[in-house]
Amino acid sequence: MLSRSAERLYWLGRYLERTENTARLLSVHMNLMFDLPMSVEISWRNLLTIFGAGERFFQLYETPDEHNTMRFLLADTNYRGSLFSSLNFARENIRTSRDLMPDEAWQQVNEMYLLIREKSDSTANRRGRVILLNDIMRGCQRFTGFLSGAMSQDDAYRFIQLGRNIERADMTTRILDIGSTLLAEDRSDKMREYENTLWMNVLKSLSALLMYRKHRRLRINSGDVLDYLMKDANFPRSVGHCIDEVETCIRYFPQSEELFENISTVKKLLKTTDFYKITPKNLHELLDNIQVKLDEMHQQIAATWFLAVN
Amino acid sequence: MVSLWDDYSTTNAYDEMRHSANQARPSSQRLSGYLDNLGRTALEVRKTAAEHAIMEMGITFTVYNEEGNIDRAWPFDIIPRIIDNKEWVGVEIGLKQRLKALNCFIDDMYNEQLFIKENLIPAYIIKSSKNFLQECIGMRPRFGAWANICGSDLIRDKDGTFYVLEDNLRVPSGVSYMIENRVITKKVFPELLQDLDVLPVDDYPAHLFEMLLSVAPAHRETPRLVVLTPGIYNSAYFEHAFLAQQIGAELVEGDDLIVLNDDCVYMRTIDGMERVDVIYRRIDDQFLDPEVFRKDSVLGVKGLIRAWKAGNVSLVNAPGAGVADDKVVYAYVPEMIRYYLNEEPILPNVPTYLCSEPEQLNYVLKHMEELVVKPANESGGYGMLIGPHATQEQIAEFRQIVKAHPRNYIAQPTLALSTCPTLCDDHLEPRHIDLRPFILQGESSYVTAGGLTRVAMKKGSLVVNSSQGGGSKDTWVINTGK
Repeated sequence: MLSRSAERLYWLGRYLERTENTARLLSVHMNLMFDLPMSVEISWRNLLTIFGAGERFFQLYETPDEHNTMRFLLADTNYRGSLFSSLNFARENIRTSRDLMPDEAWQQVNEMYLLIREKSDSTANRRGRVILLNDIMRGCQRFTGFLSGAMSQDDAYRFIQLGRNIERADMTTRILDIGSTLLAEDRSDKMREYENTLWMNVLKSLSALLMYRKHRRLRINSGDVLDYLMKDANFPRSVGHCIDEVETCIRYFPQSEELFENISTVKKLLKTTDFYKITPKNLHELLDNIQVKLDEMHQQIAATWFLAVN
Repeated sequence: MVSLWDDYSTTNAYDEMRHSANQARPSSQRLSGYLDNLGRTALEVRKTAAEHAIMEMGITFTVYNEEGNIDRAWPFDIIPRIIDNKEWVGVEIGLKQRLKALNCFIDDMYNEQLFIKENLIPAYIIKSSKNFLQECIGMRPRFGAWANICGSDLIRDKDGTFYVLEDNLRVPSGVSYMIENRVITKKVFPELLQDLDVLPVDDYPAHLFEMLLSVAPAHRETPRLVVLTPGIYNSAYFEHAFLAQQIGAELVEGDDLIVLNDDCVYMRTIDGMERVDVIYRRIDDQFLDPEVFRKDSVLGVKGLIRAWKAGNVSLVNAPGAGVADDKVVYAYVPEMIRYYLNEEPILPNVPTYLCSEPEQLNYVLKHMEELVVKPANESGGYGMLIGPHATQEQIAEFRQIVKAHPRNYIAQPTLALSTCPTLCDDHLEPRHIDLRPFILQGESSYVTAGGLTRVAMKKGSLVVNSSQGGGSKDTWVINTGK
């Protein structure tokens, strides 16, 4: 397939994954905020931290309250990482790749785009937001469904998968990074009291609660949650699984030796880390390290298969 | 009971659906009655449904204005235009005949030039044509087909006769909208399409595919096809992507292709370089190859013409085919049909005055108020003067322009384009329309069933171009039995 197409499909995969993750994260966070007493030091600001968007936010807004944070992360086109921006980029990429995939896939993305464009005002109230976020999550899943039901699992499909899994692994590490706050020695008593709820929300943010319960059969605790979300070989959003998927995809492509090196480094890191004993500081460093590796993989993917700009 | 047709007033023009205000043409009786039963409110509901479908399917075209490029939803009127198949059969033969003659002419111009030697066309017209390309002299594309894809614009005059207004032989567009219009109509009037014997239009991509394969360089077993687009900012980008998807070809831009030392064209893929055999190019000649034509072109591919001349790649349409897409040359098409095919033309031309001929120029200058004056080489309805709708100043200005560059202008009588009922707010009004069928010629010929009907949405307007406020309609060629 064309290098240009490979690039567009990879980004399509990334942006749609980002869209879906953002929708889920916002939705879970809203629910969490309804559950927690005002005094717990989890705030709307945590969302900004997960997205690494604090700086950009304060360029555009003053107070990180519910209204502003939601508007910024959901519908603000001045922020390139907002849900609407991601969807917009996804749409541009699929619009230029329509020759490579089933029509329904394009229409699905286009419909979501039209939906937000039309409804972006309704994000000011909670009810409108809940409905919109649900529609987006469903739309993304429908898109995935169209692909798995009607697209050959060829190179085009694999580039979408590749983008999706790199993005997914990145998001999982970001969400787990809140874990390092939860584990901190100096955390307040209030925080300890609600620890369970908070870890549960980490699982929910990654659609992992049910599968965790089914496979770990344990009361929710930090060590198990971390171990599950980092290492589990079968859960689609665990970092380990995403890395395996990346590896599977690139086996089909020519010339990818360098990438394999990075992949085995990450795998080794995961394998040798004991998540039941990890300190908050080490966790933070490890997650950081994995994010750097993911970025390197991205650069290698681009250099190997995308159209070089001359 | 109040009928939808009560206040429909036909004009002087030929109306496609109604003989008169209270009588439908035989082929339109079912549709007329159906619309009437449906009533105004339901029609509006269907119209909204069509608009939603267009948005969701993402059927757009790009317009340029001061604010940059805007992606606009495709303007569509839900009331179909009907053509009786008994009539269409003749038009179809006429269109094939026309394209065959045009291709003979192009091939002749780049080779023996017999048409000039027989004094059937003055040599200077070809020499001064900016679409005549020196680089193409001596070339012989397969089957003598230079223009493999042609979009001819047809109009109907007062008496109901179809005339050919122009032949678009460079990169005609619109065929994707023809196909999508039907998809939308199926959503909007499913019950109606079931009951009537309407010829399908969605077989066009299959014929396009066959044609492209048929013109591939002879020695290649499974030819690789690509669609070459100028990119996302082109007004017809939607169509380029649509067609690539429909025929299973790669949609490429100039950067994706490269001509190597073996004079073959390759595309850059994740597996390295892959040979390309047929390029359905949607880039104008001038931008195709910076090595030969415009040096500043970033849309084209360096060395493409070299590869084409070496016979290593087929370009569709062939470069230089535009020599026949010139409104001056157009005037000679009936003579081409007689000369090359030894047949009488089936479809008439619109009478055309050539400003390059002194006597005809005089006539044009004297009668500008009644004529349509067009540049010989522009498309999209730009730079023309519609005499009856122009101000005195505009006419005076055009007189000067035409006098200064007579070769670049032609004039035609203002024909009363036929009308078709069109949904305006909640009722039907007659609006002027034309028709662009698409004709393919490779190893064999093919004509679309109907084509793209374009409609001037403004009352009384004759401008149907989508870039200038025109809309479109689904076109139904129907079998009415005996």
